[in-house]
Amino acid sequence: MAGTSPEGRRWTPNSRSSPVRSPVPTYRSENRNGEMNHLEALMEAQSIHDDVREQALKTLDDYMHSEERKKLEKREQGIKDRQRREEERLRHEKKLRDEEERLRALQAQTVPKLPPKPVEQPAPQPKPSPPNATALPSKDDAAATAQQNAAKSTPPVAADPPKNPFQTVPPKINGHTSPAAPPTAAASPFAKPATSQPANPFATATAAAAAAAPKPATQASAQTQPAKPPAAPDVDRYVQIHKNLKKLRALITEHAKTNPQLKKLMGEMRREIRKSLGQLTGGKGANKKQLESIKSILMAALNGQPPSPMIDPSSFVVDRREPVEGALHNGHELPALFLYLMNQLGKAIVNQFINECGAAPRSADPVGVVTAQLFSAKEFLWRGKSLIDILMAKFRIVCPVVFGYRGSDKTEQGRLRLGWRKDGGAWISEQQHNDRMMGLGIGYASIALRDFSKSSNINPWPPSRYWKSMANIVNTPPAEITDTQCIVLKSMLNQHEEKFINFYGSAAVAALRRALVEFPNSAPKKTPGVMGLQVLAVMYKRDMGLDLGV
Amino acid sequence: MSDLASRITAPEASAAPNQDMGDVETAQNDGAGMISGGSGLQEVSYDVEVSLNDLQRDSTNPLGSAQTFEELGLPTEVLQGLMSMHFQKPSKVQEKALPLMLANPPQNMIAQSQSGTGKTAAFVTTVLSRLDFSKPAQPQALILAPSRELARQIQGVVQTIGQFCASLVVAAAVPGAVARDTRIEAAVVCGTPGTVMDLIRRRQFDVSQLKVLVIDEADNMLDQQGLGDQCARVKQMLPPTVQILLFSATFPDGVVKYAEKFAPNANQIKLKVQELTVRGISQMFMDCPDESQKYAILCQLYGLMQIGSSIIFVKTRESANEIMKRMVADGHKVTALHGAFEGGERDALIDEFRSGRTKVLITTNVLARGIDVSSVSMVINYDVPMKGPGEREPDPETYLHRIGRTGRFGRVGVSITFIYDKKSFDFLQQIAEKYQIDLIRLVPDDWDTTEKEVQRVIKSSRAQSGFNPSAK
Repeated sequence: MAGTSPEGRRWTPNSRSSPVRSPVPTYRSENRNGEMNHLEALMEAQSIHDDVREQALKTLDDYMHSEERKKLEKREQGIKDRQRREEERLRHEKKLRDEEERLRALQAQTVPKLPPKPVEQPAPQPKPSPPNATALPSKDDAAATAQQNAAKSTPPVAADPPKNPFQTVPPKINGHTSPAAPPTAAASPFAKPATSQPANPFATATAAAAAAAPKPATQASAQTQPAKPPAAPDVDRYVQIHKNLKKLRALITEHAKTNPQLKKLMGEMRREIRKSLGQLTGGKGANKKQLESIKSILMAALNGQPPSPMIDPSSFVVDRREPVEGALHNGHELPALFLYLMNQLGKAIVNQFINECGAAPRSADPVGVVTAQLFSAKEFLWRGKSLIDILMAKFRIVCPVVFGYRGSDKTEQGRLRLGWRKDGGAWISEQQHNDRMMGLGIGYASIALRDFSKSSNINPWPPSRYWKSMANIVNTPPAEITDTQCIVLKSMLNQHEEKFINFYGSAAVAALRRALVEFPNSAPKKTPGVMGLQVLAVMYKRDMGLDLGV
Repeated sequence: MSDLASRITAPEASAAPNQDMGDVETAQNDGAGMISGGSGLQEVSYDVEVSLNDLQRDSTNPLGSAQTFEELGLPTEVLQGLMSMHFQKPSKVQEKALPLMLANPPQNMIAQSQSGTGKTAAFVTTVLSRLDFSKPAQPQALILAPSRELARQIQGVVQTIGQFCASLVVAAAVPGAVARDTRIEAAVVCGTPGTVMDLIRRRQFDVSQLKVLVIDEADNMLDQQGLGDQCARVKQMLPPTVQILLFSATFPDGVVKYAEKFAPNANQIKLKVQELTVRGISQMFMDCPDESQKYAILCQLYGLMQIGSSIIFVKTRESANEIMKRMVADGHKVTALHGAFEGGERDALIDEFRSGRTKVLITTNVLARGIDVSSVSMVINYDVPMKGPGEREPDPETYLHRIGRTGRFGRVGVSITFIYDKKSFDFLQQIAEKYQIDLIRLVPDDWDTTEKEVQRVIKSSRAQSGFNPSAK
């Protein structure tokens, strides 16, 4: 409107000047005080006034019209949006319904036949697994035996009643080519590579863990690396790796003291990695720059810029590795700086989950994507396999429950086992602990549920790991269920249900029922964590039409 | 009960007896029950001062303090909503305030608690518990906030906690949100005072059955000339029985008086001045050699610690735009939000940041208060906050609200204020003295050392934050 007002003034001199008026300025005319002249002036003023008013009204009218139009357009847009959303929801519901139907059909079969699987496993024929007892991750012996007994009491695979989803046959293969994904002939998805020892799902589960990086735990002891108890399961190997990483850090810091160039660049590289990881956001292609930046730093370190001592990477992996054909790095040593930066990367990833994802679960996914990309990149493999054990060693320390550890949150020892952090000698608050666990739970899921079917690289931490971690939690004896487990479990599931179902189909739905209905129902106390799981089931029903039989 | 009746009929008259409330500093021995038994595990505690109104004082068990949400007798739907938001147990302010706010007959409340301790959830829970869901289109609760962003944010919280309340409709009464000829058909209305006032006058907003009035950031609302008047006028148009709840992180003394008149005979929850800052926030300052180097230093900060989202407060729009340009070049995804944007544009920008599409928000003071993006792990005062004519004196309240944008819900947050000359140092010093904060000095010479220092400070404040309100 502001723009139109000058226009209103423009016509005053020419178009509206009164014909009666002489060119002589009025103040010089004789009857300039006469009534006529006065009236004339009044009339002129009136007509100018009318015009201005008319113009203003018109402008106002135009403006109202355009406003109205805008409003209508906006409303139309809103309705369209709603339509789209509604359609999307319907699609979702339909999909889930189909899955459910399939599940029911499956359950209807009383004797589940083993549908032979197209096995894409790179034949990780695991050697006989370590003794059962040691395969159990829990340090609590009583609990261990209890759980083991429970596990043993369920009949072996073939005769399994299909009640327990973790022993039902996954009806379809997830169409996903990662090495450890599809079960071979075993009925339980946990029992995957477990042909040698199908009786105890726990032991086999551990073997499954070894599948991606096939190596029986016993072999690990043969490694040159220090102080590993011979029959310790993989999970404890992570603690060892974590310690080795600390030694590595001390070593390189020591080196840097005498080498100012290394010190300077090392700090800059570390901070650049940290910054890049913090910049990650959702959206396609949004993180290209960051990924490139991290890659180029790691490449520089690999290429000896700046030079650093060479060390044996086998202290930082779970399995024993031999040179393989076609691998870029087959030697028995890698630059210490590279391994140090991989360690820093792992640290940054874990910290990003802790600091950000408890509060903003959505931001876990981009971190997971970049993690999977970096740890699967051919340049950064050693002897053809990922160095992701460096990251997982950190996970083992900060979030032990995904590796099957548990303990009471009422005791010092129990809290240590749960990964409850101490700062300044005192336990961090429950709130802070829960927040960390939320972030780590979804972070773990964002790494473990990546689809590598279109990638030429090997999934460094395939979905079977996710399944296993979930099983570790939901198979906890009811008396030992803690909120920490519930919180991790919930945040592992929430927002990842779709990916999970895509990988495991009806088996995933059954697993969800186990996790969100049976598991919380079995808990003796309805703590907030337990109720959180139950509420998630209610939300699935409401938002996606996924009825888990709450 | 007679007391209540008198309050209803003559609200002004009952304001007077309130003056003596200071002496019931009921030491909160009941709240200490959280110290969990047996294992010798340390639980959090901090002091709040609770003053009860006359009515409460008479009752035999004055302060029900709730250890769990279940104890509060909330409707199942509300309880489920809280659970879905990962709320495990009531925070201190919730624990104290909720039983008082939920008690019948309804009583007024003036509550102060540090930023990020769950104030919003506390009043939203109260509001939802008071609704009659058989009348979903009848406005029953009104929540006022000083800015459209905050009003919309609160609207979001009401919707989230109320997600299991089937018929719940929440309307936003902010400029441009309600068409001229439509009536508000929602049980809960969140809005800014001016717009709400207009809507009531134009009879688009039927307040006849309003049960609760909440004013968030109440000190700010009642203090500012315009907003204060609008709030008062809105209140006059409401039924006299309405329950009034005033919330803020800061309540300067002058405002408290007015607040007591505004919400007569209210229960009060207050904090001591030294406890105003959340201890989980590591407060540091960066000693820049001169102003021109501030930018380069700013970019280095992102390598020192793992940052989720961050907010940078600057003085002028121009510097906001300039910093944005340079940070984008450095790979950051940035939103700049300041007074040059309005209405829908501002909504879109803040959503961009809130949703995580951008992770750095550069802003002038428009967003100092209340905006809760819980993943914010760093707040930078690129300039020391100033106030008064010509901006000549430091502004401690704004400082507090700004740094309160991080460290939400007991999380660890970092705040770094930039200084570059004697003057800015002195101003910051004055703020620090007022709240008795130990500001840690950082120097931009050797980043390895600075990195270590920052990590150390974060670690120690995380340990300290054990004394924090266990929010949520």
